[in-house]
Amino acid sequence: MADAALFEFLHTEMVAELWAHHSDPGPGGQKMSLCVLEGMGFRVGQALGERLPQETLAFREELDVLKFLCKDLWVAVFQKQMDSLRTNHQGTYVLQDNSFPLLIRMASGLQYLEEAPKFLTFTCGLLRGTLSTLGIKSLVTASVASLPTCKFQVVIQKT
Amino acid sequence: MTVHNLYLFDRNGMCLHYSEWHRKKQAGIPKEEEYKLMYGMLFSIRSFVSKMSPLDMKDGFLAFQTSRYKLHYYETPTGIKVVMNTDLGVGPIRDVLHHIYSALYVELVVKNPLCPLGQTVQSELFRSRLDSYVRSLPFFSARAG
Repeated sequence: MADAALFEFLHTEMVAELWAHHSDPGPGGQKMSLCVLEGMGFRVGQALGERLPQETLAFREELDVLKFLCKDLWVAVFQKQMDSLRTNHQGTYVLQDNSFPLLIRMASGLQYLEEAPKFLTFTCGLLRGTLSTLGIKSLVTASVASLPTCKFQVVIQKT
Repeated sequence: MTVHNLYLFDRNGMCLHYSEWHRKKQAGIPKEEEYKLMYGMLFSIRSFVSKMSPLDMKDGFLAFQTSRYKLHYYETPTGIKVVMNTDLGVGPIRDVLHHIYSALYVELVVKNPLCPLGQTVQSELFRSRLDSYVRSLPFFSARAG
């Protein structure tokens, strides 16, 4: 799986580089790094959103777009599907991955829990970017309770 | 048949990992010195073996044995050295040591963004996977033979 390894190594370096560069180690500097990382993910997601969907008429409603994210997008980027998708039918969706590839090599449990969120930021941006190209404005956050399981929360912004 | 212990060194002689399963006698020196002793010995044996070989060298130093234990050695082109001490009944285990390197060290340490290379491995996942892998080997028995 040479392709997967390339993206993983690149992603590792991106996170490390952004973390090394902020001269302000307090919360302000960290937020900057997170914003930059999320912005990168957003632009990649926008491009993927244009490139990936095979049938243009398949997205009749919001739920179809989310299903596309869980199946096609996840398979294209991480070679696996999202493990579960839940919604409250009012614009909030929770996508859960039980063995997220960017976290799976780190730990299986609670070690490194504090460091885990910064490895999810790029992917949050990725989801937000893809949704935006497909016409949906959203806010995406991620949380980790125990590696390598993580949840991405997508809240649709009604304009 | 059993596995006594395992050392993992990098190209600079830093001991990245050490695990033991059945070790009845300690070396009698602090761990740091033990690692240096092991690494120094391996370094010398490797160069000795290549100089004194009466034929062209293929794989180089593979193992040595005493009347009580056998030391198996595997080195990668990047200088990572896997050293496993087993008892005498165990044959060549190059593929086992290679698996430890590729499926455990590379997958769980090199690819782990939070494990800096060149330092002792802190990852619990690596430690536990290595432990279960060694325990699952056909020549490992829970009772020291």
